[in-house]
Amino acid sequence: MNKSSLHIYLLVAALMISLLACETVIDPRLEEAEPILAVDAWITNKPEPQVIKVMKTQPYFDNSIPPGVSGAQVTVTDSNGKVYVFTEDPVGSGNYVWVPQGNEVFGESGLTYTLAIEAEGESYTATTLMGSVPPVDSITFRMEEGGQFITDLYLAEFWALDPPEPGNTYWIKTYKNGQLLNKPSEILLAYDASFTRGGAFSGIIFIAPIRTGINPFDEDSNGELLSPYAVGDSVYVELNSLSEASFDFLNQVIVQTDRPGGFSELFATPLANVSTNIFNTNPNGKRAVGFFNVASVSGLGRKFNSLDDLSKTD
Amino acid sequence: MRYQFFVFISAILSFSVFAQEKATLSGYVKDASNGEALIGATVYIRSLNTGTTTNVYGFYSLTLSRGNYEVEISYVGYSPQKQSVDLQGNVRLDIELNPQSNELQEVVITGTTERSMVETVEMSVNKIDIATISKIPAFLGEVDVIKSLQQLPGVATVGEGASGFNVRGGNVGQNLILLDEATVYNSSHLLGFFSVFNPDAVKDVKLYKGAVPAQYGGRISSLLDVRMKEGNNKDYEWNGGVGTIFSRLAFEGPMLKNKGSFIVAGRRSYIDILARPFVDVLQDGARLNFYDFTGKVNYNINDRNRIYLSGYTGRDIFFFDKNQGFSWGNNTATLRWNSILNDRLFLNVSGIYSKYDYQLQFGEDDQDFFRWNSSISNYTIKPNFSYFISSNNELSFGAEGIYYTFEPANASGASAGDVVDISLDRKYNLETAVYISNNQKVSKNLSLEYGIRYSNFWSYGPGNQYIYNDTTAGVRRTPISVIPYEKGEAMSQYGTWEPRFSMMYQINENSSVKASYIRMAQYLHLISNTTASNPLDVWTPTSNNIKPEIGDQYAAGYFRTLGSEKQFEFSIEAYYRNAKNQIDYIDGADLLINEFLEGDLLSGKGRAYGLEFYFQKKTGRLNGWIAYTLARTELQVEGINRGEWYPARFDQTHNLKLTGFYELSKRWSLTGNFTLLSGTPTTFPTSRYIMQGILIPYNANDTRNNVRIPAFHRLDISARLEGKTVKKNGKVRKNTDYWVFGLYNVYGRKNPFSIYFAQSDERIPPAGKSIESQAKQLSIIGTVVPAISYNFNF
Repeated sequence: MNKSSLHIYLLVAALMISLLACETVIDPRLEEAEPILAVDAWITNKPEPQVIKVMKTQPYFDNSIPPGVSGAQVTVTDSNGKVYVFTEDPVGSGNYVWVPQGNEVFGESGLTYTLAIEAEGESYTATTLMGSVPPVDSITFRMEEGGQFITDLYLAEFWALDPPEPGNTYWIKTYKNGQLLNKPSEILLAYDASFTRGGAFSGIIFIAPIRTGINPFDEDSNGELLSPYAVGDSVYVELNSLSEASFDFLNQVIVQTDRPGGFSELFATPLANVSTNIFNTNPNGKRAVGFFNVASVSGLGRKFNSLDDLSKTD
Repeated sequence: MRYQFFVFISAILSFSVFAQEKATLSGYVKDASNGEALIGATVYIRSLNTGTTTNVYGFYSLTLSRGNYEVEISYVGYSPQKQSVDLQGNVRLDIELNPQSNELQEVVITGTTERSMVETVEMSVNKIDIATISKIPAFLGEVDVIKSLQQLPGVATVGEGASGFNVRGGNVGQNLILLDEATVYNSSHLLGFFSVFNPDAVKDVKLYKGAVPAQYGGRISSLLDVRMKEGNNKDYEWNGGVGTIFSRLAFEGPMLKNKGSFIVAGRRSYIDILARPFVDVLQDGARLNFYDFTGKVNYNINDRNRIYLSGYTGRDIFFFDKNQGFSWGNNTATLRWNSILNDRLFLNVSGIYSKYDYQLQFGEDDQDFFRWNSSISNYTIKPNFSYFISSNNELSFGAEGIYYTFEPANASGASAGDVVDISLDRKYNLETAVYISNNQKVSKNLSLEYGIRYSNFWSYGPGNQYIYNDTTAGVRRTPISVIPYEKGEAMSQYGTWEPRFSMMYQINENSSVKASYIRMAQYLHLISNTTASNPLDVWTPTSNNIKPEIGDQYAAGYFRTLGSEKQFEFSIEAYYRNAKNQIDYIDGADLLINEFLEGDLLSGKGRAYGLEFYFQKKTGRLNGWIAYTLARTELQVEGINRGEWYPARFDQTHNLKLTGFYELSKRWSLTGNFTLLSGTPTTFPTSRYIMQGILIPYNANDTRNNVRIPAFHRLDISARLEGKTVKKNGKVRKNTDYWVFGLYNVYGRKNPFSIYFAQSDERIPPAGKSIESQAKQLSIIGTVVPAISYNFNF
């Protein structure tokens, strides 16, 4: 399913009805629940220290920084038996760090990785397969002329070729001027060169809505749409490989967290828990939430130096 | 079953033996002003205290002992007639009734007509005539069949703006919606704000919430039977209106030397004109409108044979430029042949075509695009016989064959010039049914309607059948083997016996008790996991992996008329429904263009029970009704809510509706309706955690629909001003017209549609702070909405 077209459709429908609809921030009472372990273990082969966060869930409306779990034993073992030890740093933060030595990077695509966490008397485990990524070949800029209500838009587009064998999954992360675009609506995923599984879109250039999915659509304080990029901005596009389970997980995260509100709520799916691949080795033990993925990463950046950088349209 | 059939046959034979002493009175009852057949008109022989009502084509047949009778013919809103008949042989008596003048006309929603609900075996049925529908205040002043149904007991929706309706705890896809017998797969325009039926072309609307006759099947919750006007066969007539959303025009009149008549009616929205400034922003070639067009012709071949041809086409179009957009619509066509084979045997054969399709396309050029069409279509043949055995037995039997073609996706995409076909295989299915039922007056006080339907459903090749693995409930199942089938090869088959039974015991002239039991089978499933159903929702057939949905319903009720002229009607009905093989979805289910869709579906059970109270004042300057429903609808699905029962998203404990009409003066009348509904259930999280900078809500108890949103209440009023009936020079105007002024949501309540949870908008939380959690309450219509419309007839 082409997500973007549905969004545009909803946008237009919303335009018509938005005059009538309204939203209020409310403060409902929620059921109470015991905190459980929440693991944020997204490792990459980027040449930098790798962090696994071991935290606790909080009451939904508790807006404080999530509490870290101290004194856990965190290791990752690959299918060849190599062990990576993560150590707590700083103590109490819940951050467990592995620091590469010299030119060392984490992992090798094609291997299976097992995460083991001993915390608070329970032991948890997760496994994942490290995939591979194609290089990002180029980034282009183009202009879409505005109209009476919309300013001229400068859009970036990246170009990359999905490899021929089907079943590759990616998280495409975009950094604008060094800042990761990390709103729920900006999570950009690909299954081969398209949005959904099926394999038909394998071995071709990523489809247009993915190529242009790297543009942030922000508004100024008056609610006017801003151009995603302006002269002087830089963009960095990073392909992160995902396991198939991680791809499904992130798709569920989008459904549960990308809530533009308004009319789109008519077609929202019910709130449900996203999946996890962190399991207690004792099936009757305490549950955990979170996800473990080891990603191969490729990336390319480009600066929008001047209007001469715009691609010519025919 | 065999025993019952034997009883039928011997009954038929025994009655034939007595035929010598008996004679049959039969014919049509019509409206004298325009020749429209009157459905459910009463033909009554007072001296025998017996009678009958006309069928959906206006035909009746009464077999009586030979003799001299005074026949009383009546229909609500019409002057009754008496006629004496010397019944020595079979007599054909066609009657035309004159409509009563406006002032005397009463608003009617009853089981049938002047035979009040107290006197018929029918239960769980509501009929609204189009005159009443047109008086109920409507959103933006647009008279709407489906929104009017929501004023009835036992009918609910997910919320304002949601499409479709829920009957006695059934979901939107479990209603069989028929327009002149053709299935309407999506009954909504503009998502859910308006329904597809043009009120100018509708004659009769009947909702069966239970006790569905054996003639109908295919959905487990309800039947909405919409019949179109035949067209005036006496005079040419224009009807139309200019409203806030639509403008409407209808033309009807006689044809072929008054042996036939026709009606054509169309509506089109103005939205594109209103939205023009917004759409211009996007690009040229944008289209944004919805329309529908209804037509019907009929022709009297002779006294005994008549044919009808009716059709509907409607479409919603949202195109942002000439290449990109989205549209959907229904098309139907119905050809019917009525034949009076003899005075007691009436045959109708219908040939029906129906199609629902949508298309979506995206991408500005041929290098990069996405194009997707999807459709469901069917051809139906349905012969139905009514055999009027005697004044105490009316036998109905027949068969139905429906051939379906499903096209889940005819789709392709292109990326930088590489075109990829991602179409899914078509699916071919045949649904057949045979049925027989008898409406029997056992004694003066006891009436029964009993019947049986046997339905069958086949899947045919060409196609692939998938066998899925078993996993933990709630987890995606993956195909482990594929079995290819040749063209015409049967892939799966299911058959279901569907008994139907209703009884009525009349305690006295003013009160009766009724009870019914029905079983229904449903072979098509509406795949939708969103709060409200949307136009992209696909229908999918029963297969080796999806079992037919089976629903049982038990209902009992007490019906009473009150007042010196029976001007008050009161009823209580209790119902209990259960359903098995209901469709549900795994978390993260992928429902669109998914070859392995069946692996993402779950199967569960449903149950619903409730009490419906209904009180109506039928006449007087002030009339109207109160409907109150106390109900519970629950689902149980392995893998959801820890496998325990949970309330459905549209479950409403209390559902109260007041509808009132008041005639202020000869020209001004007022209508108001008030709605009070319990909040519907929804799911709230308990906890949160942050993963890769994204705030994720978490429900630690794994509950579904564990809290309720606040209650809903709304008042709507409208005023109608009749145009002058006399010209300034004192002559009577031939044309009539009226204005309707309306206020929807008079006191501007922000009624909640849903409550949702999201992280705050900013990209980076302030230093030392974390991402902020928010809960937001959404009102679809959070303000008072005025409306005005002008309507005319000449």
